[in-house]
Amino acid sequence: MKKKSFNLSGVMQSKITWAVVAELLILLVCFIIRPDFFSIKYQPATGMLYGSLIDILNRSAEITIIAMGMTLVIALGGTDLSVGSLVALSGALALKFLRWDVLVYNTPGDYTVKPFILVILVPLAVCTLMGMFNGFMISRIGMQPIIATLILMVCGRGIAQIVTNGKQFTTLYSPFRVIGQGSLFFLPMPIIITAVVVIGVSLFVRKTAFGTMVESVGINPSASRLSGIDSKKIIMIVFALTAFLSAISGLITASRVMSNDSNNFGINFEMDAILAVVIGGTNMSGGKFSLAGTVIGSIIIRTIVTFVYYFGIVSEATMAFKALIIIVVIVLQSEPVRKKMSKFGKKKVTGGVQHA
Amino acid sequence: MKKFLAVVLALALVVALGASAFADIKVAFSQIGQESDWRTANTDSIKGTIEAHEGWELVYDDAQQKQENQIKALRNFITQGVDYILFTGVVSTGWDEVLAEVNEAEIPLILVDRMPDCADKIDYAAAFGGDFVEEGRRQVAWAGEYLKSIGRGDEEVCVAIMEGTTGADAQVGRTEGNLAALKEYPNMKLVAQQSGNFTRTEGQAVMESWLKSVDKIDVLIVQNDDMGLGAIDAIKAAGKVPGKDIIIVGCDSVKAAFEAIVAGEMNCTVECTPLYGPFVEKTIEALEAGETFEKTIVHPEEGVYDCVGGIDLGTVTSVLAADVIDSRVY
Repeated sequence: MKKKSFNLSGVMQSKITWAVVAELLILLVCFIIRPDFFSIKYQPATGMLYGSLIDILNRSAEITIIAMGMTLVIALGGTDLSVGSLVALSGALALKFLRWDVLVYNTPGDYTVKPFILVILVPLAVCTLMGMFNGFMISRIGMQPIIATLILMVCGRGIAQIVTNGKQFTTLYSPFRVIGQGSLFFLPMPIIITAVVVIGVSLFVRKTAFGTMVESVGINPSASRLSGIDSKKIIMIVFALTAFLSAISGLITASRVMSNDSNNFGINFEMDAILAVVIGGTNMSGGKFSLAGTVIGSIIIRTIVTFVYYFGIVSEATMAFKALIIIVVIVLQSEPVRKKMSKFGKKKVTGGVQHA
Repeated sequence: MKKFLAVVLALALVVALGASAFADIKVAFSQIGQESDWRTANTDSIKGTIEAHEGWELVYDDAQQKQENQIKALRNFITQGVDYILFTGVVSTGWDEVLAEVNEAEIPLILVDRMPDCADKIDYAAAFGGDFVEEGRRQVAWAGEYLKSIGRGDEEVCVAIMEGTTGADAQVGRTEGNLAALKEYPNMKLVAQQSGNFTRTEGQAVMESWLKSVDKIDVLIVQNDDMGLGAIDAIKAAGKVPGKDIIIVGCDSVKAAFEAIVAGEMNCTVECTPLYGPFVEKTIEALEAGETFEKTIVHPEEGVYDCVGGIDLGTVTSVLAADVIDSRVY
């Protein structure tokens, strides 16, 4: 790192820089309207830090976790549309094992719960299998990813409905509450889980050759096959990983409200995850990817939502408002704008040299 | 062998057709699918009533949330020559053609729960659905009367309204009712209004933000119970006591809301009943007897269930939730 001299034009040209700039701009607007948007207090009732910035990080967890997998999927040149359905399925499976039909509030001790480990392991395992099914259809059968995952996107919610008999269960089982509403180091648990996932996936792809292989398959599958990369295996692993991460996301979603909802859990998550990846600077056509960019992309999406809630944008205008901000972010990152900006950056640097 | 099979099949078909043609009354029901507990209870109620009725035969179709399935089902009903068609449309537009065909076939049409946009252009025997505006009015009226009953009638209170999915019939109607009723209670001031999309997750997220951005919320009106159940967790996370620091008034009357009221974490839920079976039965019996109905929507009788009971809302008096919780089926 030390050998690399600071290159302003390079920084200006990087898509991540512009994602960060966009996020800071939105936060700046928040700050101008309401400086107390940034206030963070300690909340003794829950033992957690409490503030809008914490909310943004907390509520972006589901998308960030899924988007880690989605980044790799997109780097392979594919898309995974099934993640939202898998979130619903994961929640349904978890609640299936936590269900109780008795009065929840009156008799908190009186319920049947399968061993807690099943509540966690079954959703993770089932969803990973579903992901392997996606990977199988794509790598062995040769389906296009968008079609293969569309199958599960459509039928995943149906399976979730079958699992719970179309019912919505509620639970008060406190160990399950920890996943979505618990805390560690004064932070909401979803933030901690996200941090672990992001660090884990980053280490996995960057400390091993896996990331490079993914990029290579994404840029040119046949060339990478000829150079000895088992692209089928790579595709399989990436789709299984994405499904596994969707299951984690589903557990968080279910734990937040302590219930399942096969119709509404994970709705549009595939779109938000893809958007997070794109805002983060990974190209939809595959190849190079940026996990850090994706994290920022996901945070931007959640910041917009929080902005809407916090400042009470009328509900009819919410969608249009979100679209507007996203257009601005994407335009900021577009090739022509970045080129202009990098020229501007270069001028500044050379100017500085002349003065010196 | 093949010939024999074909003859047997043909015979079976004739017998089946004959048998169905001689059944007394065929009541067809095109339901939109199973989207929620409410819908399941709705389906069970109507199906159960018709099946249990002597001399009635049910022809049921579940459209799985797809309009094309429903149009197909309606045309099937016509070819089968059913006697009555019960219909709940998955969307409000696009029914003109197929419902005109139903009219041409002179099969009495009974609109259930949702009214298609073309309702005034077609003939229907009867229509039945919830009164969303009245539900919205009751929510605010309950809060206003409850505040009076605990001696806070003159105190200025801050009200937040969490709306349903923007554009849904229930959201439009309940918002209209909410806002109209707020005018009746000058001490209640509207401080926040936002959509929580009828889901627990979003209800929780919206409440979480409100607790930081809105200085004071005394009354939370949620346009369905699920959003209220989500908001309860957010209120607890902010170190406040739901049901006490913030009065929560829900809508729908699902079982979980009753449990929350009994536990003291919610204060009231305004009923929106899915149990249409008895009405359907009464209507068909009346139509059979030669009666006719006017082209207006008939609303079911619905209650208001709360934590105290006996609050007079003009059209209805609230019932203590704890007294009826065991008899709730959805």
